[in-house]
Amino acid sequence: MTPSGNLVAGIIVALVVAASVNLGANPGLFIGGLPNLWIVAEEMIQVDPGLVPDALLAMAETIQMAFVGTMVGVAIALPMSLLAARNIAPAYVHAPVRALLAAVRTFPSILWAILFVIMVGIGPFAGILAIIMYTVGFVAKLQYEVIEAIDPEPMDAVLAIGASRLQLVRHVVIPESASHLLGQLLYMLDYNIRQTSILGLVGAGGIGFYVITYLQFFEYGKAAVFMLVVLASVLAIDWASTRIRDRYIVRPYSGP
Amino acid sequence: MDEGARPIGLRRIIQMNDVWATYGSGHALRGVSASIESGSNYAIVGRSGSGKSTLLRLMNGMLAPERGAVRVGYDVPDARGRRFRRTLRTIGYIPQNLGLVKNTTVLRNVLLGALPRLGAVQSALGRFPEGEVAEAERVLASVGLGGMGHRKAHALSGGERRRVAIARALMQHPTILLADEIVSELDPGTAREIMGLVSEAQRRTGLTAVMVHHDVSLALEYASRVAVISEGKKVLEIGVDGDSITDFQTGSQSTREAVEAYSRDA
Repeated sequence: MTPSGNLVAGIIVALVVAASVNLGANPGLFIGGLPNLWIVAEEMIQVDPGLVPDALLAMAETIQMAFVGTMVGVAIALPMSLLAARNIAPAYVHAPVRALLAAVRTFPSILWAILFVIMVGIGPFAGILAIIMYTVGFVAKLQYEVIEAIDPEPMDAVLAIGASRLQLVRHVVIPESASHLLGQLLYMLDYNIRQTSILGLVGAGGIGFYVITYLQFFEYGKAAVFMLVVLASVLAIDWASTRIRDRYIVRPYSGP
Repeated sequence: MDEGARPIGLRRIIQMNDVWATYGSGHALRGVSASIESGSNYAIVGRSGSGKSTLLRLMNGMLAPERGAVRVGYDVPDARGRRFRRTLRTIGYIPQNLGLVKNTTVLRNVLLGALPRLGAVQSALGRFPEGEVAEAERVLASVGLGGMGHRKAHALSGGERRRVAIARALMQHPTILLADEIVSELDPGTAREIMGLVSEAQRRTGLTAVMVHHDVSLALEYASRVAVISEGKKVLEIGVDGDSITDFQTGSQSTREAVEAYSRDA
């Protein structure tokens, strides 16, 4: 390492140590706390199998919420992504739309959930709305990046023969960007199911509500049933989406 | 019968007078004049970066000259302008990488050529009238891709992609076809097949072809005029009639070597 590299590394280490001292982050506490983890683990092992049907129902609710939220969110995100793409929309359209999307993305879904619980009350609907907001912000960004990266030549070729902007979008932009859409949809659904699992913490429905309730009453064994169901579901979804991806996603193409 | 293919009505269908233009980085034209006869095959050759593509983009108004004048028929080309739109519809354009939509079918790529004459609402739904679909299938058959309409464009060979691009242009009922190095990178046999398709379309419809070439021998074989562009200027323009080649600027006869010398990449 060069002398200046050593200096930079030294400064970073010093900053980490200083910040840790400020925050009272003491590694000794972590080591000392390990036995507590053991106690929790012991209680969690005492799984209550009678709760499995409840947990599966709660998971089904969670998946439905994530499904509705993802689909509606994507349906809103797609037209927004066209308006936000620099190579499609003029600056006076794409600049405000991008700013709006950036603002939407600033909040994590749990904050949206708190907001919607205040608006529409406790329950799955608030969770669905939160998922929609998060999905719109996220998918619209992914999708406008895809649109901005599509090959300019077909667009050029179609504009050069006098086609309209609308025709360009329908016949070039949508087909050229659609191949990424399935992948994004799967990714988002996968991600949203994980997210929806914790939205219950703020009362926005789903399996997280059970987890937080049992944890608050120190019923680790019962909470563990629900957490294991979440784990199993996420693994299953991960496996399924990998299979779908491998099967349907279009191979890239190179050259003219 | 073919509304779009009516001749624009001038013997000199494209005229350029002392045109200066810049496109991209350094692809500049510095005072080019040209006059292209209706129904002819006009070839443009030159080294990479000499300004050949720029010349084509001036002819369909995708680029405006900084100085000088361009006329197509009686019109000033302007791809964004409303007045030029009617003429633009009948100017086929095949860019260097063909500009096919890879992730859709061959048939839908050919139908793109019909877009300019379709209503905005109808085509926004993604449907094409049956008549247009039938015509696209006929045009595909005429370029040797009959029955291949359902294939995805990204699954085609290089020669097949060029056939699709030509079919898309023919769908426009073109009076002019602008093609940018569409037969470079092909083996000589396939390149001749593709050039044969263009010649055949010219015989059938009387369209004017303006083609940028990398390969001088193909230009001399198929074109009636060959313009050589070097560093943004037209340094040579020759007429080809069978084996006889005439240099219009000097009257010299032994110009084949000269054409090759100018257009060979250093």
